[in-house]
Amino acid sequence: MSLEEQQSDEPAELESGVSRGDELADLLGDLVVGREEHMNAPGLVIRPDEVQDALFKLRDEAGFDHLSCVTAQEYEDRYESIYHLTKFDDRTDEVSVVVPTSKDNPVSQSAEPVFRTADWHEREAYDLVGIQYEDHPDLRRILLPDTWQGHPLGLDYDQDRPQIATLREHANPLEEDHRAAGDSNTMYINIGPHHPATHGVLHVETVVDGEQVVDLDADIGYLHRCEEQMCQQGTYRHQIMPYPDRWDYISAGLLNEWAYARTAEDLADIDVPEYAQIIRTMGAELCRIASHMIALGTFALDVYGDFTAIFMYAMRDREIVQNILEDLTGQRMMFNYFRLGGVVWDLPEPREEFFEKVRDFLDGLPQALEEYHDMITSNEILQARTVGTGVLPPEVAKSYGATGPVARGSGIDYDLRRDDSYGYYDELDWDVVVEDGCDNFSRLLVRMREVEESAKIIQQCVDLLEDWPEDERNIQANVPRTLKPEEDTEIYRAVEGAKGELGIYIRADGTDKPARFKIRSPCFSNLQTLPEMSEGEYIPDMIASLGSLDIVLGEVDR
Amino acid sequence: MSLQAVLPDTISGLLGLEGVLGDVVGGLVGAFLVANIMLIMTAFAGPWAKRKITAAFGDRIAVNRIGPFGLLTIVTDAVRLLSKELIVPEGVDRPAWDLAPMVIPFSALLGFAVIPMGNGIQLADPETGLAFAFAAASIASLGIVMTGYASNNKFSLIGALRAVAANIAYEIPLVITAASVVIFAGSLRMSEIVAVQAEPLLSVAGVTIPTWFAFVNPFAFALFVIANLAEVGRNPFDIPEAPTEIVAGYQTEYSSVYFVLIYLGEFIHIFLGGAIAATLFLGGPAGPVLPGFVWFTIKIWAFFLFTQWARSAVPRLRVDQFLEIGWKGMLVLSFANLVLTAIIVGVIA
Amino acid sequence: MSSEQKPFVTDDTQVQTETRDARMAGADDRFNSKLREAFGSSPFILTKFDKFMNWVRGSSMFMLQFGIACCSIEMMHTYAIKHDLDRFAAGVPRASPRQADVIIVPGTIVSKFAPRMKRVYDQMPEPKFVVGMGSCTISGGPFQEGYNVIKGAEEVIPVDIHIPGCPPRPEALIYGIAKLQERIANGESSPVTVKPYELEQFGDLESDEIVDKLAAQIDEDDLVMRYNWADSP
Ligand code: SF4
Repeated sequence: MSLEEQQSDEPAELESGVSRGDELADLLGDLVVGREEHMNAPGLVIRPDEVQDALFKLRDEAGFDHLSCVTAQEYEDRYESIYHLTKFDDRTDEVSVVVPTSKDNPVSQSAEPVFRTADWHEREAYDLVGIQYEDHPDLRRILLPDTWQGHPLGLDYDQDRPQIATLREHANPLEEDHRAAGDSNTMYINIGPHHPATHGVLHVETVVDGEQVVDLDADIGYLHRCEEQMCQQGTYRHQIMPYPDRWDYISAGLLNEWAYARTAEDLADIDVPEYAQIIRTMGAELCRIASHMIALGTFALDVYGDFTAIFMYAMRDREIVQNILEDLTGQRMMFNYFRLGGVVWDLPEPREEFFEKVRDFLDGLPQALEEYHDMITSNEILQARTVGTGVLPPEVAKSYGATGPVARGSGIDYDLRRDDSYGYYDELDWDVVVEDGCDNFSRLLVRMREVEESAKIIQQCVDLLEDWPEDERNIQANVPRTLKPEEDTEIYRAVEGAKGELGIYIRADGTDKPARFKIRSPCFSNLQTLPEMSEGEYIPDMIASLGSLDIVLGEVDR
Repeated sequence: MSLQAVLPDTISGLLGLEGVLGDVVGGLVGAFLVANIMLIMTAFAGPWAKRKITAAFGDRIAVNRIGPFGLLTIVTDAVRLLSKELIVPEGVDRPAWDLAPMVIPFSALLGFAVIPMGNGIQLADPETGLAFAFAAASIASLGIVMTGYASNNKFSLIGALRAVAANIAYEIPLVITAASVVIFAGSLRMSEIVAVQAEPLLSVAGVTIPTWFAFVNPFAFALFVIANLAEVGRNPFDIPEAPTEIVAGYQTEYSSVYFVLIYLGEFIHIFLGGAIAATLFLGGPAGPVLPGFVWFTIKIWAFFLFTQWARSAVPRLRVDQFLEIGWKGMLVLSFANLVLTAIIVGVIA
Repeated sequence: MSSEQKPFVTDDTQVQTETRDARMAGADDRFNSKLREAFGSSPFILTKFDKFMNWVRGSSMFMLQFGIACCSIEMMHTYAIKHDLDRFAAGVPRASPRQADVIIVPGTIVSKFAPRMKRVYDQMPEPKFVVGMGSCTISGGPFQEGYNVIKGAEEVIPVDIHIPGCPPRPEALIYGIAKLQERIANGESSPVTVKPYELEQFGDLESDEIVDKLAAQIDEDDLVMRYNWADSP
C-alpha cells in the first residue's frame, strides 16, 4: 500500500539526512563540537556561547528560516536546549541544533536576535526547566507566577513545596501607574484575564494613549495545566492520548491526537493501515471545520460585540459537525479516538446512515458559507473594520514562527498537510489556501475558504470509505501492549493542527513513558505576533486582531 | 394655541379643579401617567422583548418557562435585580456616582413631556417643544460622563469619553436634520409639526398618503434615523458600551438598583429617540383605523425593533471611523439637506 | 494522602478540620435579609415574602460571561442555538461581574488564575451562586496531579452545584442549572465553606522559608494566595 511505502521511506530519508548533516556540519565548520542523530533530523551540537553564530549561519546561508520549536530538558549530567529548525519552503529539510550546558552554570546564548520567536520559547525553557539565556531581552517567567519557586520540569523539583501567587493591584487606576514615568498621556489598562474578548484567560497588559495602543504585552499562563508533565507521566500506548484533546480544545481534538499519534508511531516504527488513515483524515478535517467555525463565530463576537446572529449560526453548523463526530467517536469534544497504529473503532453501523449524515452536512455547507459571506465578508462595515488592520507582513510572521491560517493569511504558502505530508492527504485533491492581504480580513477569509477545502477532502474520504472492500477494513495495526522505544531516541514531528504547526518532541529513555515530552503549540507562536499587529492601532483593532489570531489558551499555556 | 388640550388640562378638567391647584394636580397626575406608560413599555422591552427579538434573529427561543411566553421574567428580573446587593466600590466619587443612574433615565423621561402620544396624551406643548425634547435627551450623556469618571474604573472612563464624543458628533446632524423639518412645518411646536403632517400629500387609487416628512423627504428621514441610532448608542454605533472591547463601558461598576436605572434609561432613551423620529417624520400618532396612541406605540416599538435588528446584524464601527462618519459624512449631509430644504421651501412659498 | 511523612505539610490537620466544620455547621447567611434580622422571628408576611424572593431568584439569573478552558466551549454551546439556556431565564451573559448572579466556572483553575477568579467572585453582588462545571472544578480532573493545578474550584470559592463530566454535555449543564434554580427556589443553599486558599496580604503570612525568600519581591500589602500543595486533597 502506498502509505506503508511512504512510511518505510522514512529511514531512506534519514540516510540522505545523514549526508545532509555532514553538509551542514561543514557549513558551520568549527562551531560544531559534536553530532547527534535525531529521528527526524541531524543534530548538530553547538557550544552554548556560539548559538547565535551558528543560527545566523544556518538561517542566512542554508536557508533555515523557521525556528519551529525550542525544547529544553535536563539530563542527569547536563541541561540541553534543542532548536528545531526547518524551512518555510521545504518543510522536510530539518536540522536540530543541540546546545548542552553544564549543570552548575546553565547559561546559554539566546537565539532571540536571530529568530524573534525564541523570545517566548526561551522564557518558557527558563521557566519550566531553568536554563538561563544570556542576551535575552526579557528573561522572566512566562507560564508560572513570577514568585514561583523552582523549575517544575527539572529533575529535582519537589511538587509538594508551598507556593505563593500574587494579585497585584493598581492602587489608583487613573494615575500613578503609568508605565513610562513622567509620560502622563498614557494610561495602563489590564485587558483580561477575565475579559469578554480574550477567548479564555489571556491577560493583555496594555498601555493606551487615548484609544490607541502604545505598548502591549501578552501575559499568559493562566491556563498552564502542566500538559507536558501529564504526558511525561503517561504510558505511550494508552495514557497519553486523552491529553492532546485538551490542548486545542475547540473540537480540534482529532488534529491534536494525530500530532501525538504521528510522533509516537514514527518513534516506535508503527505502520498505520490505509483504511485507518482515511478515517483519520476525514475525522481530522471535520474537526478543522468545527474549529474554524468557532474562530468565525468568536471573531464575529469580537467585531459585533454581542452574541449575535452570526455567532449563533456558526454554533448551529458546529452542532452538526459535533453530532457527526459524536457518531464517529462517541464524544462531543474530547474524542480519544486515535490509537497508536490506527483508530479505536470502525465507522458506526449502519454505515449508510453515517455517510448520509456526512453527505447531508457537506451538501448544506456551501449554502451556509454563502450565508456567512453575505453577512460577514461582504458587509462594508466589517470590511472597514478589518481590511488593512492588524497587518502582519510575511517576514515578521516568519520570524515569529507563525503558522497555520495566520501565516497563510500573510501570504506564506505553508501547510504541513502538503509540505510534509502524512495521513492520506497526498492522495487527495485539495488546495492550500493562501491570501496575501496580511490583515485581519485575510485571516478570516483563509479560514472560511479552508472550510471549503476541508469539505472537499471529507467528500473524497467518504467516497473512498464507502467503496472500501469489507474484508480489508483494517482499523488498527498490531501494536505491542507496552511500547518501550529505545533509549535516547529523539524525535520531533509536527502536523497541521487547526491553528498551525502542532509539533511534539519526544525523547525516549527505554521505559514505557517518555523522558521528555515537549509540545510545540502553534498558538504560542502566533500569539507572539500580537504586539506587532496592534501597537499603534486602536483598542478595537487590537481586539479584532486577537480574534483573528484565533488563539486557544489551552494550547498557548498547555 | 395648541390644537388639542394637553393632558394636565384634561385631567384637571375632569376633576373639576381650577387655578393653581388644578395645574399642580393635573400636572402631577399627567406626569405620573406618562412616566408609567413609558416605564411599562421599557419593562417589556428590557428583560423580555429584547431577549425574544435577539433570540429570534439567532434562531433561538429565549425565555419561555416562566409564565406564558416567559412574560413573568419581567417580574422576576426586576425584583431580583432590585433585591441584589448594591456594591459601592472603593474610590468612587460620590455623590456623582449615585446621581448618574438617576440622571440617565429621568432625562429621557423628561423628553416625553412634550411628545404628543395621540388621544390627547401630551403633558405640555410649549412653542419650543422640539428644542426641549433634544435638550432633555442629551442630558443623558451628562449622566454617562458622570458614571464614567465617578466609577473609578478605566473601562468606564473610556466608555464615557466615547459617549461624549459620540454625542457631540451626532447631536449636531440630528438637530440640523430636525431643523429641516422645522422649516417645512414652520414651527417648533410638536403639535403643529404633527398637524402639518396630517395634510394629504397625494392620493393613489383612493388611498390618501399624508404629508409625513418621511415621505416628503426620505433622505432627511434616513439621516435622522442613523444619527438617532448613534445618539442612543446602538449598533453599529454602540461604542460607549462595546462589550467585547471595554467590558460593559460606562456601566461596568454598577450593580443592583443603579444598574436597573441605567438599563432603564437606555431603553427609555431608545423609545424617546423613536418618539422624536415618529413625531418629526411619521406623523406622530396619526394613522388609519386604530386610535392614535396605538399607532404611536407601534411606531416607537418599530424603532426599537430596528435598533435590535441592527444590533444583531451589523458590526460595530471603530471609534475613529465612527467619528469620521459623524463629522465628515453626517454633518455635511445634514447641512446639505438643510440648505436644500430651505431653498425648496423658499421657492415654493 | 498520607501527609505525615512528607515535608511541607502542616503538622496538624487544622486546614481540613476548619473546612469540614464549616461544611457541617453550614454557617450561611447568603439569603438573610435585613428585614428578617430586624424582626427576629419569622412572621407570616416575611415567610411568604421570602418564598417569593426565592422563587424570583430561582427564576431569573444573569450569568457571568466567563470562560476558562475546554468546558467553556460546551458552555457556549449551552447558550447558543439548540440548547438555548435562556429558555430557563438563565442565558443572559453579562460581561461585568457586578451585574451577574451566577458564575459558571468552566475549566481548570491554575495557580496564577485562582487569585483572579477569587477577585472576580468577590466583585459579584450577593446573593451569588457558583456552578462548577467539569471534573476540573471538582478535583482538578485529568490534571489533578499537575504541579500548577488547583485541586478543584472549592479550594478557592464556594460551589453550589458540581456538574461532573469532561466536559459535561450541554444537557448536563442545563440540568445542573435547573437543579440550582430548584434549590434556590426551595430556599436551600450550600454552606459557605472555609477554603484553604484565601487572598491575604503578604505581610499577614506567617514567616517561613518561602515567605522569607519572597520578602524582597513582594510588598507587604500585596494580596497573595498561598498554596499548600501538600495539604491539598
Ligand atoms: S473538565 Fe475536562 S473538559 Fe472541562 S476543563 Fe477540565 S479537562 Fe477541560
